[in-house]
Amino acid sequence: MKNIVFLLIIFSSGAFAQSIQGNIKDSQNQILPGVIVSIIGEKGNVVFSDEKGDFSIKPVTRNPKLVFTLLGFNSDTLLVKDNSFLNIVLKESNATLDALVVNGNATVIDRLSPIQTETLTTKTLAKAACCNLSESFETNASVTVSYADAVTGAKQIQMLGLSGAYIQTNVENIPNLRGLAATFGLNYIPGTWIQSIDIGKGVGSVVNGYENMAGVINVELKKPENSERLLLNAYLNHWGRAEINLNTSKKLNKKWSTGILSHASMLPTEFDRNNDGFRDLPKYNQINLINRWKYQSDKYMAQFGAKYLAEDRSGGQMGFVSAQKSPSIYGFFNQTRRYELFSKTAKLFQEKPYRGLGLILNYSGHFSESYFGQKPYSADQTSFYLNLIYQDKIVDTRHTYKTGISYLNDNYDEKLGGLTRIRNESVPGIFYEYTYNHLDRTVLLVGARLDKHNIFGTRFTPRVHIKQDIGQNDTWRLSAGTGFRVANPLAEYFGNLVSSRSVVFLEELKPEESLNLGTSYIKEIGKLSLSGEYYFSKFKNQMVADAEHDQYLYFYNLEGKSYTQSALFELNYGPKKNWEVKLAYKYVESKQTLGKPNREKILFDKMFLPRHRVLLNMAYALPYDKWKYDFTVQWNGKRRIPNAGKTVDLVNYRTMPVIYAPSFFNLNAQISRNFPKTEIYLGGENLTNFRQKDPILSADQPFSNNFDAGLAWGPVVGATIYSGLRYKIP
Amino acid sequence: MKKVLGFLSLILLMSVSGYAQKAATVEEVKFKTSAKCGMCKERIEHDLSLTKGVEKAVLNLDDKTVSISYNAKKTSPEKLKVKISKIGYDADEVIADQKAHDRLPDCCQKTADAHQ
Repeated sequence: MKNIVFLLIIFSSGAFAQSIQGNIKDSQNQILPGVIVSIIGEKGNVVFSDEKGDFSIKPVTRNPKLVFTLLGFNSDTLLVKDNSFLNIVLKESNATLDALVVNGNATVIDRLSPIQTETLTTKTLAKAACCNLSESFETNASVTVSYADAVTGAKQIQMLGLSGAYIQTNVENIPNLRGLAATFGLNYIPGTWIQSIDIGKGVGSVVNGYENMAGVINVELKKPENSERLLLNAYLNHWGRAEINLNTSKKLNKKWSTGILSHASMLPTEFDRNNDGFRDLPKYNQINLINRWKYQSDKYMAQFGAKYLAEDRSGGQMGFVSAQKSPSIYGFFNQTRRYELFSKTAKLFQEKPYRGLGLILNYSGHFSESYFGQKPYSADQTSFYLNLIYQDKIVDTRHTYKTGISYLNDNYDEKLGGLTRIRNESVPGIFYEYTYNHLDRTVLLVGARLDKHNIFGTRFTPRVHIKQDIGQNDTWRLSAGTGFRVANPLAEYFGNLVSSRSVVFLEELKPEESLNLGTSYIKEIGKLSLSGEYYFSKFKNQMVADAEHDQYLYFYNLEGKSYTQSALFELNYGPKKNWEVKLAYKYVESKQTLGKPNREKILFDKMFLPRHRVLLNMAYALPYDKWKYDFTVQWNGKRRIPNAGKTVDLVNYRTMPVIYAPSFFNLNAQISRNFPKTEIYLGGENLTNFRQKDPILSADQPFSNNFDAGLAWGPVVGATIYSGLRYKIP
Repeated sequence: MKKVLGFLSLILLMSVSGYAQKAATVEEVKFKTSAKCGMCKERIEHDLSLTKGVEKAVLNLDDKTVSISYNAKKTSPEKLKVKISKIGYDADEVIADQKAHDRLPDCCQKTADAHQ
């Protein structure tokens, strides 16, 4: 936690009457002039730090909350209770590269960012100790994660009622889990590597590209320059899943630092508790490594590194070895190798902290071989990404802008049985984003980008974000904008391929295009915080994956309406110092026009999406987190699922029966004990032991025409008990 | 299901033992330490608070004494002094563990000038 406390305060002796005085420096001990010092709730009471970094401000209210703002630095808020001289250290926000997200300390919802942003800190992440990004959202109401099917172990996230494909998932602002990584990508980022996760809702900033149609999830990894020298994490659950993570970081000298993040995990055992003859979870093993180097001086910041991932998965019927060795046993197998190279460089302007020039470069190669029964699927993707960003002020620091150029190159090569899909995308783009910031109370963000797609022509993407503080405790936000992306049907509907369904493309798929509108309101009343939000997404074009017919998986372009609306109400309450309670209710309505295979147009509820969901999280901790207790219960409402009854006449969409899966509860709990260097934890997932009955259709005849493992809507595995430890050398 | 019940009762047991601590005899003790600054204060309070039997630890930087509330059934003043020594500081007559002391940042070592 210490490494994300951005504000260091050292109190010196000496009392001053009335006005608050202090001095502001950066983490390199350099004086910071021109920092805006304002007080929350005191309109017009603003001073700037002088050339020596000194400031003096007279508060009107008691216990004023001071806000320190300087472009290129993380803004921070400080509650002042006495008149001590304040020594403020502002932390650089990695210049332009951190883009828009302002990290808070332990605050859950960001008050400064114009985009509704929720931050999950290491503290939040430790609430659900297991294990990777896919399991990091268990105590969070905005993002839900569900299994895609009952065999492969692939997981899908969902936010604002939309699937993860419409949410851009970045690692340190580099688009990462896209394309083919959509299938298993959430398993590719181990939890121990993560420093924080920022969940930005609604359309994102144009600086990050055109694909963030409904939100941006940005994962910040442990930084070499300010992380523990060593962090060791070991995890074991009672099914036999074992994980080990080792992070090391080293400061080589004042300017250079380096870090290694490593991970190895496996599930070597096979088990079948629901007695359907299939493994409840696939056997797997994964090795995952990052090494990176960072250089920081007054004038430059540079960072580069490499990532390697190797994963093998084997699911299907019990006793499956491989398609050659056990041909009569239905098996699923996937082997993925992934290579990434990345670099970020920034030119800093010491005297003009509002100015910056940053360059992001990224190469990734994703190579995978799979088979479903006897049907092979090979999928390769190589991508190159470049983003050059320049930021500066206009007249004064209230008006700033970011502008730059980007280039994206994607090469896809997929073969599923006799079906070949090859796609080469080359997309140069330019963007401009203007920010008006009045004392952090009023923030307006207007941006647009123009991208020239080699296949789909020139695309214009405009976006607007507004944030307004109302009074002392209320924040209101509004966002609107368009986005587009090219879908990857096979990677995104991978789970549906574990079936006897024939994949049929009715036509060439066009890019998906959406308009997203949203608003949110946050009210803080003492220790209680209330928030409400509403988002509406409408698709001009969408890839429709139609699994209504039991033997086909049709892909086609939307013809007609498709929209999703979602509302979230959340209450966070800390009644006593060591208590935290979160209660959330989420409503989702998602409808899509289906029926093209029959030349019909019928508006259906989207499958697998519950309309109502309730989450309750309670946490209790002793001082310094000596003991921590955490408890989460989730209620998931009923949801529409594919029609499994094959006796039904499926000729007509109009008369097709609509089937729902029942609602269910899910319960997770965890206890942990902290020692000065070690933390041990014991927890349980799905403690109500709820399991979907018969998650696989025709499990006894996997090579028949009715076999389908893509119908999972609930947990396949029952209660899971786990334990682990973290050992740190700071 | 049995495992789940076992787990839940384990949670219950642990919570009960947590509450039982409060019923136990809480005593208070004060030691003079070789703490120098706010960093030392934070380090000592953090590590002591996570030590078995300690309910609360507060270091006063004016006179460098640390006040510890502890559960007499789980620890003793002698054990606590040893613990402080292992963090790298003197506690009354118990001298700081040399290795731990040398690992402290320069500003926290005994040779450092008095500062806050």
